[in-house]
Formats: sequence, C-alpha cells, structure tokens
Amino acid sequence: MRTSDAVSGTMAAALGAALIVASADLSPLPRQVYGAGTFPKVIGGLLLLMGGLLVAKGLRQRQPWCRWTSKVAVRPFLLALVAVVASVVAYVLLTPVLGFPVVAFVLLSLLFRAYHRRGWGRALLIAALATAVIWLLFAQLLHVPLDPGLLEQVLYP
Amino acid sequence: MSELLQATSMVFQWEVILVIIAASLFGLFMGAIPGLTATMATALLVPVTFFMDPLPAIAAIVSATAMAIVAGDIPGALLRMPGTPASAVYADEAFLMGKRGKLGLALGINVTCSMLGGVIGVAVLALFAPRIAEFALEFTSDEYFWLALLGLSCAILVAGGDPLKGAISMLIGLSLAMVGMDSVSGQVRFTLGSYDLLAGISLLPVLIGLFAITELLRSLPTAGRGASRADTPRREGFGGVVSTTWRYKGGVARGGLLGTMIGALPGAGADIASWISYAISRKLSREPQKYGTGHPEGLVSASAANNAALSGAYIPALVFGIPGDTVTAIIIGVLTTKGITPGPDVFTEQGALVNAIFLVFVLANLLLLPLGFMAIKGAGRLLAVPTGVLYPLILMFCIVGAFSANNSMFDVWVMLGLGLVGVFLMENDFPLGPLILAFILGPIIESNFMRSILKSDGELMAFVDRPIAMVLAGLAILVWTLIIANGIWKRPGRGSPTDAAASQAR
Repeated sequence: MRTSDAVSGTMAAALGAALIVASADLSPLPRQVYGAGTFPKVIGGLLLLMGGLLVAKGLRQRQPWCRWTSKVAVRPFLLALVAVVASVVAYVLLTPVLGFPVVAFVLLSLLFRAYHRRGWGRALLIAALATAVIWLLFAQLLHVPLDPGLLEQVLYP
Repeated sequence: MSELLQATSMVFQWEVILVIIAASLFGLFMGAIPGLTATMATALLVPVTFFMDPLPAIAAIVSATAMAIVAGDIPGALLRMPGTPASAVYADEAFLMGKRGKLGLALGINVTCSMLGGVIGVAVLALFAPRIAEFALEFTSDEYFWLALLGLSCAILVAGGDPLKGAISMLIGLSLAMVGMDSVSGQVRFTLGSYDLLAGISLLPVLIGLFAITELLRSLPTAGRGASRADTPRREGFGGVVSTTWRYKGGVARGGLLGTMIGALPGAGADIASWISYAISRKLSREPQKYGTGHPEGLVSASAANNAALSGAYIPALVFGIPGDTVTAIIIGVLTTKGITPGPDVFTEQGALVNAIFLVFVLANLLLLPLGFMAIKGAGRLLAVPTGVLYPLILMFCIVGAFSANNSMFDVWVMLGLGLVGVFLMENDFPLGPLILAFILGPIIESNFMRSILKSDGELMAFVDRPIAMVLAGLAILVWTLIIANGIWKRPGRGSPTDAAASQAR
C-alpha cells in the first residue's frame, strides 16, 4: 500500500515530535549542556525537518492519498498478512501453555495446507518432519530452551 | 609469518571447514530461489552463529553470502528472474544467451568470474586493510564520530531513490537505537515503562523482522502458485567458459577492482557494484551494440564485480568498525556480541584472527567453483522447491531465531513489529539499508560524540580542530547538503543507475 508522501512525512514528523517531547525531562550530564537528551532532540528535530520536507513534496506533486502499487493483488496480500500475524501471535501466546512441538506442528500444518495445497495428509506429514528438524537443530544442537510443554514426558522421559 | 601459520591452523579445522561447506550450501539454496536474498540468508544464519566461536561465525556468513550472490545468477539465466538484486543487471543478458543455446556458457562464466572477482576482492582487502588500520590507530573519538556519520550519510545517498526518504529511514534507525539505557549517563530512555526494553532493542529480532519477515510478507501472497518449472541445463556443456573468460580478462580485472572499491563505500553493495561495472564495461567495449542481445562481455565484469564488492565491504567494517552494507553491519553486530569490537586495534591485537578471516574469504570463494557448477546441474530441482512449503518454514525459522538470541518472547514481538514497519516502508520506497546501518552505528555515533564533548568540556569546535577530523567533517557536511538540496529540488522521474538498481531490487 502506497500512501502519499504527505502521509508518510506526517508520520515521520510525528515521531520526531514525540522524541523531542519524551526527551524533555532527560537531564544533561553534570556541569554540561549536553547529555542523554541531546541526541534524541537532534534526531527528533531532523525528523521534523525531513518529514516536513516530505509533506511539502507530497502536497506539491498532488500524490493520491493512498493507492495499491504492489505487484500482488490486495486479497492475497491481506491473507498473507493475517496468516503471518496470526501465526506469530498464536506462537507467542500458546507456546508457554502447549509447548513448542505442538504449536509448531499445528501452525505449520495449517500454513502448508493453505499455501502448498496438496491436501491434509501431505501437510501434516511435512509439518511433523519440519517440527522435528527445527526441534533437533535449535533445542538439541544449539540448546535454545524451546518449551517442550505437553510433550515434556515424551521428549525428556 | 607466525601469525599466518596460526591463522592457517585456525581455519583448517574440521569444524570451520564443515561450517563453510554447510553455510555455502545454505547460501546456494537461498540465493537460487527468487525472492530470498543474501541479506535474508544472513539474517536467518545469525541465530545459529550466536552459538559459534567468532571465526566459524564469520566464516558461515562470508561463505553463505558469497554463494548466495553466485546462485542468484542461476534463476536469472533460466527464468529471467534474478535470484538476488545483485544479479538483476545481467539477468536479461544471461537469459538471452540461454535462448541461443549458450546457457552452460553463461552460467559457467557467472561462476568462474564470480570466483575470480571474489579472489581479487580478498587480495585487495588483505593488502590494504592492515595499512589503513595502521593509519586509523591515530583516530580519536572525534574522527570516529565523523567517520560513522559520514558512513551513514553516504549510505543514504547511495541507497538510491529519494534521499529524503533514505534520511528518514536512517533517523528511524537512530531512534530505535536510542531505546534503553544510555551508555554514557545511564539514564533510561523511551522504554515506555517496559522492563524488556531496559537493555535496548536487540539486533537480531530487528534484522529478522526487517529482512526476513518483510520479504516473507511480500513473497508469501504468491506462494504455491505457478511453480517455476525450468529446463534443467543437464546436458549443457560448459565449453568455452575458460576461453571466453580469458578473452575478457581485462573485464574481470576491472570488474574485480571496481567492485572492491564500490563495496568499500558505505551503503553501496554488490547490487550497485554490478550495475556500475556493467555500465562501464559497455561504455569501454569495442562492440557495445551487442550488449543486451546475449553477449558475454558485460556478464564477465558484472559477475566479477558483485562478488568483489562483498570483500570490499569488509574494509571499512574491519578497519573502522563502520559497516559498508547490511551484511557487514550484521557481522559487526555478531562480533560485538562475542566481545570483539572491530576497529584498528583488532589488527594489532588479534592479527591471527584477521588473517584467518582473509583465509576464510579465499576458501569460500574457491568453493564457489565446485558448488556453483553443482548448483547449475541441479538447478531444475532447486527451482522446483515448492514455495508453499518453503515460506511457512522460513516463518517458523524466523520466530525461533528471534526468540533464540535472548530466549525472550518479547523479541518475537519486536520481530513482528519491525516486519510490519518494514513492509510499509518498502511499499513507500523508503530504503531499509540506512535504517539497519543507523541502528548499528547509532550507539557508536552517540558515544563518540559524548566522549569528545566530555573531553573538550562542552566545546563544539573541538570536533574539527584535528586535520583528519576536519576533512571528515567537511565531507559529512557536504553529503548532507547534497541530501537536503536533493530533497528540495529533485524533479520527479529523473533516474540514475542506482534508482534503476533500487527499482529492480523490488
């Protein structure tokens, strides 16, 4: 989705303003005018300036406020966006309860089924294999503490 | 000499060699599949390198990127779809050669010249980096401040497109870098009361979010549709590769040297090196009319240039600790987490490690030949990997990778957030390179600025009272004037080669 430069410029300027406001109460170093607040203020100021220039450019060129310029159509893009966001959210919320193997297997099965389109049997099979490989690589080889969750008794008898 | 021996014994251990081969295969795979870039390969490798010693970690990244750039040529020649942006300039040329029955020749030249260009790049790196490092030992925080600022500013200019957007992208990166506890005063900034943000935003989730999730969100919508079936060049002979390369040996040398120099410039990487090298070779050619019709000459120097640029980018990264492109930015991040701060001191204190890194470069580039030819033979199978399986797998790798750096779910949120921000920025032509460079250079710029200001007791003029600092400051101010002037007066629709490179990369 492509917005007018006026929109993205406004967002940049807003970020700059927020930086300046948020750094107002950072105190300078003892007996100095500079300190933890110096850089945020400089960067906030520059963001305001550059954002302002971008807004001016967008308005001058009369760019449309919002249009779709991407090569993929809107619907598949939104579906992919939902799929990715939902997967990450589900992973973060469910892994502490159900554990990595279960969550990864279910998520991968759903995604394979949705994008590979070769039926449930194959999706489940590839998902099981992939989950096992990721578990072996990260949990066993690299010692990343992935949560075994429900399968704790099975994986670490 | 003893350092060289020590370096050799560091490199020739089965563990390091195994890592080089495995990472090369990984890079080969990532590069050959259109839509997956060398930077994405690096971002996905980093979680694994966190658990390695410094040398194998660097070896993994070096070999994966070198191989990815070469493998990117394969779908370019077979499907007219460059595997990575660095192959975009000559994808048409190679494809046309393939149409005329010279597929083996085109890809053979790609692999051979990439190897030669890479070796030239390493030679220049090994020859000049220690000399520059000696010179850089004199630098104080003043010079480092200006150097880092100059590096960032050039990155904006070189990123192509609208410099104003590059500048905003950089400023966003600097803002992200300031979150957490300030290293000089110890004050806590912009954490919004979050405990997880006290130590700042970690590099890895930012990297994976910006370079892997962003690409994934742009590629996933087309996954599983119209599998890219390609004719395998199985019976394709590689005849004429050596003789053609020899005929254009000048082009190889020029591409190699030019590529190294362009790679050493901050912000300009393999893609820009191959564009410029292709353009120059066309200009100097005796038969420029043949370009674009399936003529190998441009292929030769551009293939040499993009791999040479990879090595060139390590000159500023190793010597000053100032990365020239996204991949070296990642390397610096990885080294820093391992307690090694890249800079001139590394050359004097850890000479063996530096030499070992050069050796790894040579090995990785030599390995391009066998693996490259193997990849060409297996190209059909490689390209038939179903994207509908691949992309969900990459998503799972991203999640686990982001989690693994600090074993924190918070980092997974950061990854997702940055991925969404990255898609919005990309769709609106904000380059992501300056953002990640700024994120890594931000603390360097700020701490050197504060150090200088404390030394001089608040006197701003102290920043320019040393000759080198003055020159660097002049250059930085010049670049910024260009950026702002460009932002105000640039007329729309005026394209430069870097614009073309940027638009091809999308």
